[in-house]
Amino acid sequence: MLVPVETAIDGLVRTLLEAVLPDVGTRFARGQLYAVVDILRNLRDRVEPKAALADAEAESALTALDQAEAACRGAGAVGEAARIADAVRAVPAAPPIDRATALRGAVSLALEVVDGLPPDAAAPARAAIAAHLTAQAFRDLAVLKPSLLTEISKG
Amino acid sequence: MADDRLAARLEGFLGARLDGAVHLTHLERSTEGFSQETFTVDVDVRRGDTIERRGYVVKREPVAGLLEPYDLEPEFRVLHALSDDALPSPPTPWFERDPAVLERPFYVMERLPGDVPIPAARPDGSGPLDDADRATLGPAVADALARLHAIDWRARGFGFLGAPAPGRDAAIRELTRWEDRLARSAMPLHPALAEALLWLRRNPPSTDDITLVHGDYRLGNFLVTRDGGTAQLSGILDWEMVHLGDPLEDVAWCASPLWRAGTPYASALLAPEEFAGRWAATSGRAVDADRLRYYDVLAVVKMATIMLTGIRAFRDGRTTDLRMAIFDHQLPYLHALLGMARGWLG
Repeated sequence: MLVPVETAIDGLVRTLLEAVLPDVGTRFARGQLYAVVDILRNLRDRVEPKAALADAEAESALTALDQAEAACRGAGAVGEAARIADAVRAVPAAPPIDRATALRGAVSLALEVVDGLPPDAAAPARAAIAAHLTAQAFRDLAVLKPSLLTEISKG
Repeated sequence: MADDRLAARLEGFLGARLDGAVHLTHLERSTEGFSQETFTVDVDVRRGDTIERRGYVVKREPVAGLLEPYDLEPEFRVLHALSDDALPSPPTPWFERDPAVLERPFYVMERLPGDVPIPAARPDGSGPLDDADRATLGPAVADALARLHAIDWRARGFGFLGAPAPGRDAAIRELTRWEDRLARSAMPLHPALAEALLWLRRNPPSTDDITLVHGDYRLGNFLVTRDGGTAQLSGILDWEMVHLGDPLEDVAWCASPLWRAGTPYASALLAPEEFAGRWAATSGRAVDADRLRYYDVLAVVKMATIMLTGIRAFRDGRTTDLRMAIFDHQLPYLHALLGMARGWLG
C-alpha cells in the first residue's frame, strides 16, 4: 500500500466531515457518522499494516534477487551481478514494511540491470524475477476484496 | 463553492448566452466522471409565453485529479469543432477560463440522451450488458471508432494537438507523455511497472498512419439509449485524453482487460479479435499485431499512471475524493494485468 495507514485515516475523516456530513439528513445518522469519525481518529495511532504480508513479499523478492545475481554471474556478467548484490545489501533488515518496499526497489533495479544484457544471458535472471512477480501478484490479489466500483460510480 | 452559489453563477453564465430568460431548475454533481468535476444542469428558457427546457453538462477542472496538470481547452476545441459532425459527440458551445465565473476553467456541453453503462460486473458475476445489447452496441462502437479515426484532422484544424512524425514518433510521444506523468506523481515504481516500461522503451512500433485518437474510448464513456429495447450508441464522452497518434492506441485501449467487466469481451461488447476486425473492416485500416501488442501494454501502464496520480493527490491531502484512495488497493490488479500483457503471468 502506497498510502500510510495514518494518512489514509486522516483522509477518511476529512472526507466524512467535509464532503459527507453536510448531506446527512437525520440527527441519528449524523450522530453515527460522528461516532465513525471518533473511532477512526482513535484507531489512527494504534494500527499498522500486517507484517506477515510484507515478510512474505520480502522473502520471495530476496530469493528472486539471489537467483538473478547467480544467473548474471553464471553468464559472465560480473558487474551486473555485483550491482544486484549491492542493491540487496542496501536493504534494511527491519521494519518489515520498509524492508519489503526497499526490496521492491531492488527488484526494479535488477530488471534494469538485466535489460542491458544480451537476451540469452538475461533470460534466466528474468525468469527468476518473473516467478517472484507472479507469486506476489497472487498474494496481493488474495487479500483484495470484491470491488464496489458499481456502487462507487453510481452512488 | 456552495451549490447555491454555483447554481446562481451558472444561471448567469447561461443567461448571457441563451436567447431568453434563463431559470436553472436542477444542478447535480455526477459520480461517473473520475477525473474532471462533472455537473448536470437543467434550465428553463422563457421566451414570451413559451418555456423551453434544456439540459447541459458542465465539466470543470478539479483542484486535484487523475490527469493533472489540467488544460481543458484542447478537448473543448476538438468537441466544439466536432459539434456538427455525424459522430455522436456532445455539441459543446462554450468554454470559460475566467476564474471569476466558477473559480476554475470549465466548458459546457449539451446533454445527450441515454445512460452510461460502467465497466463492472453485475452482482451475479455476469457482464453489464446482455446479449441483445451487445449485438447492436458492439458493432456500433467499432464503427464509431472507425468514423472517429476517419476525421480529417488537418482540415479540422486539429494540428494544435501536436502531430507525430511518421515512424516511431507516435509511440515514443505517448510513452514519454505517460512517463512524464508517472515522474510527476513521484510514487515508487513497482517492478511490474518498471518491467513494462523497459519493454515499451525498447519496442516502439512504427506507423505512418496518424489520426485523431480519442484516448479514452471504452465502456464507461459510451452513452447508450434503448429505443424499443434496442441499445444504441448516443454519445461518446470524456475526450480529455484526445491527441493525434496511432489509431491502434484506441483499439487496444477499448479492448483492454481493464474494461471487460468480468467478461471475455472488449469493453464487455465483442470478442477482442471481432472488435478489432470490425474496426478494420469499417475503417479500411489494418490491425498490425505488433503495434496492437505495444498499445495493449501501454494501456495498462496508462491506467496505472492515472491511479498513481490519484493516490498522490489523496496522499498529499489535496483531494477529499475517496475514489482516489481506492486505487491504492486496486493497483495489484493492474500489476497482474501487466503480467498478462507482458507474458510473465500466464
